[in-house]
Amino acid sequence: MSKGVMLMSGGIDSPVALHYMLRQGHEMTCVHMDNRPFTDDSPLAKVVDHLEVLRARYHQKIPMYLLPHGPTQVQLMRETDRHVGCVLCRRFMWRSAERIAIREGATFLTTGESLGQVASQTLSNMRSATASVSLPIVRPLIGFDKHEIEAVAKAIGTYEISTRPGLCCQAVPSKPATRSNLVQILQEEQRIDVDQMLDDVLRHATVL
Amino acid sequence: MSTRCSTTYSDTPPSSDLPVTYYTLALCASKGAFEAVPRPKLAVDLGAAKARLTAAGIGVTDARVMLIAAMEREVTLSRDGRVLIKSRDAAEAERVFAELRRVVGLPDTAEKSSPAGEG
Repeated sequence: MSKGVMLMSGGIDSPVALHYMLRQGHEMTCVHMDNRPFTDDSPLAKVVDHLEVLRARYHQKIPMYLLPHGPTQVQLMRETDRHVGCVLCRRFMWRSAERIAIREGATFLTTGESLGQVASQTLSNMRSATASVSLPIVRPLIGFDKHEIEAVAKAIGTYEISTRPGLCCQAVPSKPATRSNLVQILQEEQRIDVDQMLDDVLRHATVL
Repeated sequence: MSTRCSTTYSDTPPSSDLPVTYYTLALCASKGAFEAVPRPKLAVDLGAAKARLTAAGIGVTDARVMLIAAMEREVTLSRDGRVLIKSRDAAEAERVFAELRRVVGLPDTAEKSSPAGEG
């Protein structure tokens, strides 16, 4: 089986997606983008607990990289058009995950995305976001609806963790773009030094 | 009472010539923080607010459309006056909110609007 990198958010979906990848026997490394101060400590605590549940279930170590994402968010909010902020944010997450994948010798990336669930998960936004990376992306939940995902989360013991009190991302604009244009996205990214920002993120990575 | 989660911000032009009433602090939908939303929206001068917070020795992250202040609990102040306090304790949130209003000069409940930099 292959080696992959999974983006973990602390929500309901990502541990379910990770469960399916582990069930297929893939060797997974996780990445959590630490969004503080635009959220609180709860997403990280949830991810730690999700991994504890799934490590016990699959008897795997499942290393997790913790990457600071707050400084990236600040720079995006200060320098770029906020209506496409969610897409730009996702592009940084994908790039960060890909850098970790290269470091770990992984050959694919994975998320818990399912189509149309939130603003960043429309087809055009997914395309704009993932155009930032070249590794293949596996989305085990892409055709699931919320009820199906929740049912699996309950069955594997991650639902209660995901639904503990927490704070939503405060960097989300009131009207995020649901149809992004890749040309516009690339223009927005010219306002910032993407490589330098990524280097900074990776330099401050910690492994839990 | 607002139950909307987080300080998602709006670019809608705010009004500052109407009486402002901050709603009672309420837990946001995901129960991770307390939130207060002014009606009508304010036009907070975040530059002036940042200066006042910094002068009071409070660390501030400036994200252009919002400030995040490292008070007793972390607080987000948005340009439209929305305040989010990262606490799940109502008394603590009230205390932090009162301190923020004092330092920044946000209007008290039902006071005439005079947010930072406008009064």
